Amino acid sequence: MASLITCPHCGVRPKEEFAIRGDASRGRPEPMDSDEAWHDYVYVRANPRGRTQEHWHHVAGCRRFLVVERDTATHEVYSVVDAAEFALRATR
Amino acid sequence: MVRDYNNRHALEQKLRSAPVAPAADHLMVGHWRTMALVLARADREEAVRRAIASQPDLSMRFAAPGEWLVVSEVEAPSGLVRRLEELCDGGAYVVDQSDGRVVFRITGPNVRSILAKGIGLDLHPATFTLGGSANVLCGHVPVNLARTDEDTFELIVPRSYAESLFDDLMRMGLAFDLTAAFSD
Ligand SMILES: [Zn+2]
Repeated sequence: MASLITCPHCGVRPKEEFAIRGDASRGRPEPMDSDEAWHDYVYVRANPRGRTQEHWHHVAGCRRFLVVERDTATHEVYSVVDAAEFALRATR
Repeated sequence: MVRDYNNRHALEQKLRSAPVAPAADHLMVGHWRTMALVLARADREEAVRRAIASQPDLSMRFAAPGEWLVVSEVEAPSGLVRRLEELCDGGAYVVDQSDGRVVFRITGPNVRSILAKGIGLDLHPATFTLGGSANVLCGHVPVNLARTDEDTFELIVPRSYAESLFDDLMRMGLAFDLTAAFSD
Protein backbone atom coordinates (compact mmCIF):
# COMPACT_ATOMS: atom_id res chain seq x y z
CA MET A 1 0.00 0.00 0.00
CA ALA A 2 1.32 3.39 -0.97
CA SER A 3 1.97 4.99 2.40
CA LEU A 4 2.57 8.61 1.37
CA ILE A 5 0.15 10.48 -0.87
CA THR A 6 0.88 13.96 -2.19
CA CYS A 7 -2.47 15.73 -1.97
CA PRO A 8 -2.63 18.62 -4.47
CA HIS A 9 -4.17 20.79 -1.73
CA CYS A 10 -2.43 19.60 1.46
CA GLY A 11 0.98 18.26 0.44
CA VAL A 12 2.57 14.96 1.46
CA ARG A 13 0.29 13.05 3.84
CA PRO A 14 0.20 9.57 5.40
CA LYS A 15 -2.32 7.12 3.96
CA GLU A 16 -4.17 6.96 7.32
CA GLU A 17 -5.75 10.31 6.47
CA PHE A 18 -7.52 8.87 3.41
CA ALA A 19 -10.43 6.58 2.64
CA ILE A 20 -10.09 4.59 -0.59
CA ARG A 21 -13.23 4.43 -2.68
CA GLY A 22 -12.15 2.11 -5.48
CA ASP A 23 -11.75 2.17 -9.24
CA ALA A 24 -11.85 5.66 -10.76
CA SER A 25 -11.33 4.61 -14.37
CA ARG A 26 -14.84 3.33 -15.12
CA GLY A 27 -17.62 5.72 -16.06
CA ARG A 28 -21.10 5.59 -14.63
CA PRO A 29 -23.62 3.99 -17.04
CA GLU A 30 -26.54 6.01 -18.38
CA PRO A 31 -29.76 5.68 -16.30
CA MET A 32 -31.51 3.55 -18.92
CA ASP A 33 -28.54 1.30 -19.74
CA SER A 34 -29.01 -2.45 -19.45
CA ASP A 35 -29.16 -4.27 -16.12
CA GLU A 36 -25.94 -6.03 -17.06
CA ALA A 37 -24.13 -2.72 -17.47
CA TRP A 38 -25.38 -1.53 -14.09
CA HIS A 39 -24.63 -4.87 -12.45
CA ASP A 40 -21.07 -4.67 -13.75
CA TYR A 41 -20.71 -1.08 -12.60
CA VAL A 42 -22.04 -1.67 -9.10
CA TYR A 43 -20.77 -5.16 -8.23
CA VAL A 44 -18.06 -6.45 -10.53
CA ARG A 45 -14.55 -5.46 -9.54
CA ALA A 46 -11.26 -6.34 -11.15
CA ASN A 47 -8.31 -6.88 -8.84
CA PRO A 48 -5.56 -5.67 -11.12
CA ARG A 49 -1.87 -6.12 -10.58
CA GLY A 50 -0.04 -3.03 -11.75
CA ARG A 51 -1.06 0.48 -12.61
CA THR A 52 -4.54 1.56 -11.40
CA GLN A 53 -6.58 4.70 -10.92
CA GLU A 54 -8.55 4.97 -7.68
CA HIS A 55 -10.71 7.49 -5.88
CA TRP A 56 -9.10 8.49 -2.60
CA HIS A 57 -11.05 10.71 -0.21
CA HIS A 58 -8.87 12.99 1.93
CA VAL A 59 -11.14 12.54 4.95
CA ALA A 60 -8.81 13.99 7.61
CA GLY A 61 -7.43 16.77 5.42
CA CYS A 62 -9.13 18.91 2.81
CA ARG A 63 -12.04 16.43 2.42
CA ARG A 64 -11.70 16.53 -1.38
CA PHE A 65 -11.97 13.46 -3.56
CA LEU A 66 -8.71 12.74 -5.36
CA VAL A 67 -7.76 10.37 -8.16
CA VAL A 68 -4.58 8.49 -7.30
CA GLU A 69 -2.74 6.61 -10.01
CA ARG A 70 -0.56 3.97 -8.42
CA ASP A 71 0.96 0.54 -8.91
CA THR A 72 -0.66 -2.12 -6.74
CA ALA A 73 2.46 -4.30 -6.89
CA THR A 74 5.31 -1.85 -6.38
CA HIS A 75 3.38 0.77 -4.34
CA GLU A 76 4.72 3.49 -6.58
CA VAL A 77 2.46 6.55 -6.89
CA TYR A 78 2.47 8.13 -10.36
CA SER A 79 0.05 11.00 -9.98
CA VAL A 80 -2.55 12.55 -7.69
CA VAL A 81 -5.17 14.98 -8.99
CA ASP A 82 -8.37 16.46 -7.62
CA ALA A 83 -11.34 14.40 -8.84
CA ALA A 84 -13.00 17.52 -10.26
CA GLU A 85 -9.89 18.22 -12.30
CA PHE A 86 -9.77 14.54 -13.36
CA ALA A 87 -13.40 14.69 -14.59
CA LEU A 88 -12.70 17.93 -16.43
CA ARG A 89 -9.73 16.36 -18.23
CA ALA A 90 -11.83 13.31 -19.15
CA THR A 91 -14.52 15.43 -20.81
CA ARG A 92 -11.98 17.37 -22.86
CA MET B 1 -40.85 26.91 27.80
CA VAL B 2 -37.67 28.86 28.23
CA ARG B 3 -34.70 26.99 29.61
CA ASP B 4 -31.41 28.32 30.81
CA TYR B 5 -28.37 26.23 30.06
CA ASN B 6 -25.16 26.56 31.96
CA ASN B 7 -22.27 27.24 29.63
CA ARG B 8 -19.64 24.71 30.58
CA HIS B 9 -16.28 24.36 28.87
CA ALA B 10 -15.49 20.93 27.41
CA LEU B 11 -12.36 20.66 29.59
CA GLU B 12 -13.89 21.99 32.81
CA GLN B 13 -13.48 18.59 34.48
CA LYS B 14 -9.92 18.07 33.31
CA LEU B 15 -8.58 21.53 34.15
CA ARG B 16 -10.67 22.41 37.18
CA SER B 17 -7.88 22.02 39.71
CA ALA B 18 -5.81 25.03 40.75
CA PRO B 19 -3.58 26.23 37.90
CA VAL B 20 -0.11 24.75 38.05
CA ALA B 21 3.01 26.81 37.47
CA PRO B 22 3.68 26.50 33.73
CA ALA B 23 6.75 24.47 32.80
CA ALA B 24 8.92 25.29 29.76
CA ASP B 25 6.47 23.32 27.62
CA HIS B 26 2.95 24.42 28.40
CA LEU B 27 -0.54 23.74 27.07
CA MET B 28 -3.07 26.56 27.30
CA VAL B 29 -6.80 26.39 26.74
CA GLY B 30 -8.84 29.56 26.51
CA HIS B 31 -12.35 29.58 27.94
CA TRP B 32 -13.70 31.69 25.11
CA ARG B 33 -12.39 31.69 21.60
CA THR B 34 -14.43 32.97 18.72
CA MET B 35 -14.23 31.25 15.35
CA ALA B 36 -16.28 30.68 12.24
CA LEU B 37 -16.04 28.46 9.19
CA VAL B 38 -16.06 30.33 5.89
CA LEU B 39 -16.85 28.43 2.69
CA ALA B 40 -16.47 30.52 -0.45
CA ARG B 41 -18.82 30.16 -3.39
CA ALA B 42 -17.38 28.75 -6.61
CA ASP B 43 -15.22 31.34 -8.39
CA ARG B 44 -15.30 33.71 -5.38
CA GLU B 45 -12.46 31.97 -3.48
CA GLU B 46 -9.77 34.51 -4.22
CA ALA B 47 -11.98 37.55 -3.48
CA VAL B 48 -13.08 36.04 -0.16
CA ARG B 49 -9.52 35.11 0.78
CA ARG B 50 -8.29 38.61 0.06
CA ALA B 51 -11.16 40.28 1.94
CA ILE B 52 -10.50 38.31 5.13
CA ALA B 53 -6.71 38.44 4.83
CA SER B 54 -6.92 42.25 4.76
CA GLN B 55 -8.11 42.20 8.40
CA PRO B 56 -5.06 42.03 10.67
CA ASP B 57 -7.02 40.84 13.73
CA LEU B 58 -8.56 37.83 11.97
CA SER B 59 -6.50 34.66 11.71
CA MET B 60 -7.24 32.41 8.73
CA ARG B 61 -6.69 28.68 9.08
CA PHE B 62 -6.67 26.63 5.89
CA ALA B 63 -9.35 23.92 5.90
CA ALA B 64 -9.78 23.09 2.20
CA PRO B 65 -9.60 24.91 -1.14
CA GLY B 66 -11.93 27.89 -0.68
CA GLU B 67 -12.62 27.03 2.96
CA TRP B 68 -11.09 28.53 6.09
CA LEU B 69 -11.53 28.53 9.83
CA VAL B 70 -11.36 32.17 10.90
CA VAL B 71 -10.28 32.79 14.50
CA SER B 72 -10.62 36.06 16.36
CA GLU B 73 -9.18 37.10 19.72
CA VAL B 74 -11.40 40.15 20.08
CA GLU B 75 -14.80 39.57 18.48
CA ALA B 76 -17.83 37.94 20.09
CA PRO B 77 -19.36 35.06 18.04
CA SER B 78 -22.31 37.02 16.64
CA GLY B 79 -20.08 40.00 15.85
CA LEU B 80 -17.58 37.85 14.00
CA VAL B 81 -20.25 36.20 11.86
CA ARG B 82 -21.81 39.57 11.00
CA ARG B 83 -18.44 41.05 10.15
CA LEU B 84 -17.40 38.09 7.97
CA GLU B 85 -20.68 38.19 6.08
CA GLU B 86 -20.16 41.88 5.37
CA LEU B 87 -16.53 41.31 4.35
CA CYS B 88 -17.38 38.47 1.97
CA ASP B 89 -20.32 40.38 0.49
CA GLY B 90 -22.41 37.32 -0.32
CA GLY B 91 -19.40 35.41 -1.65
CA ALA B 92 -19.28 32.86 1.16
CA TYR B 93 -21.25 30.82 3.66
CA VAL B 94 -20.31 31.67 7.25
CA VAL B 95 -21.04 29.28 10.11
CA ASP B 96 -20.27 30.08 13.75
CA GLN B 97 -18.07 27.39 15.38
CA SER B 98 -17.24 29.11 18.67
CA ASP B 99 -19.20 26.65 20.82
CA GLY B 100 -18.49 23.68 18.60
CA ARG B 101 -14.71 23.62 18.76
CA VAL B 102 -11.96 23.95 21.34
CA VAL B 103 -8.62 25.68 20.80
CA PHE B 104 -5.47 24.22 22.37
CA ARG B 105 -2.35 26.37 22.35
CA ILE B 106 0.88 24.50 22.97
CA THR B 107 4.17 26.31 23.35
CA GLY B 108 7.74 25.57 24.39
CA PRO B 109 11.17 24.48 23.17
CA ASN B 110 10.09 20.84 22.75
CA VAL B 111 6.75 21.51 21.09
CA ARG B 112 7.72 19.82 17.79
CA SER B 113 8.98 16.68 19.50
CA ILE B 114 5.72 16.49 21.44
CA LEU B 115 3.49 17.02 18.42
CA ALA B 116 5.52 14.63 16.26
CA LYS B 117 4.34 11.77 18.47
CA GLY B 118 0.84 12.12 17.08
CA ILE B 119 1.02 14.15 13.89
CA GLY B 120 2.37 12.79 10.60
CA LEU B 121 3.38 16.17 9.20
CA ASP B 122 6.82 17.71 8.75
CA LEU B 123 6.88 20.38 11.47
CA HIS B 124 10.42 21.62 10.78
CA PRO B 125 10.43 25.45 11.10
CA ALA B 126 11.54 25.81 7.47
CA THR B 127 8.73 23.57 6.19
CA PHE B 128 5.82 24.41 8.46
CA THR B 129 6.37 28.15 8.36
CA LEU B 130 5.01 30.83 10.65
CA GLY B 131 1.33 31.41 9.91
CA GLY B 132 0.99 28.01 8.22
CA SER B 133 -2.01 25.81 8.98
CA ALA B 134 -3.41 22.45 7.94
CA ASN B 135 -6.07 19.87 8.68
CA VAL B 136 -4.30 16.79 10.04
CA LEU B 137 -4.79 13.74 12.22
CA CYS B 138 -3.41 13.78 15.76
CA GLY B 139 -3.55 10.10 16.57
CA HIS B 140 -7.07 9.35 15.37
CA VAL B 141 -8.47 12.80 16.10
CA PRO B 142 -8.95 15.26 13.22
CA VAL B 143 -7.49 18.65 14.15
CA ASN B 144 -6.67 21.92 12.48
CA LEU B 145 -3.05 22.66 13.27
CA ALA B 146 -1.59 26.15 12.93
CA ARG B 147 1.79 27.63 13.75
CA THR B 148 1.04 30.95 15.45
CA ASP B 149 4.49 31.85 16.75
CA GLU B 150 8.11 30.69 16.65
CA ASP B 151 7.52 27.69 18.95
CA THR B 152 3.76 27.94 19.39
CA PHE B 153 1.09 25.84 17.71
CA GLU B 154 -2.68 25.87 17.97
CA LEU B 155 -4.84 22.78 17.58
CA ILE B 156 -8.55 23.25 16.96
CA VAL B 157 -10.73 20.21 17.60
CA PRO B 158 -14.43 19.44 17.56
CA ARG B 159 -15.69 19.90 21.12
CA SER B 160 -16.57 16.26 21.69
CA TYR B 161 -12.97 15.23 20.92
CA ALA B 162 -11.46 17.78 23.30
CA GLU B 163 -11.10 15.53 26.36
CA SER B 164 -9.66 12.72 24.28
CA LEU B 165 -7.15 15.01 22.58
CA PHE B 166 -6.25 16.56 25.92
CA ASP B 167 -5.39 13.13 27.36
CA ASP B 168 -3.37 12.30 24.22
CA LEU B 169 -1.43 15.58 24.35
CA MET B 170 -0.60 15.19 28.04
CA ARG B 171 0.70 11.69 27.37
CA MET B 172 2.68 12.91 24.35
CA GLY B 173 4.20 15.62 26.57
CA LEU B 174 4.91 13.41 29.58
CA ALA B 175 8.61 13.04 28.80
CA PHE B 176 8.94 16.84 28.62
CA ASP B 177 6.93 17.57 31.80
CA LEU B 178 4.22 19.30 29.80
CA THR B 179 1.86 21.31 32.01
CA ALA B 180 -1.66 22.51 31.23
CA ALA B 181 -4.05 25.19 32.44
CA PHE B 182 -6.83 27.49 31.37
CA SER B 183 -5.31 30.67 30.02
CA ASP B 184 -8.12 32.98 31.18
ZN1 LIG C 1 -6.01 17.17 0.98
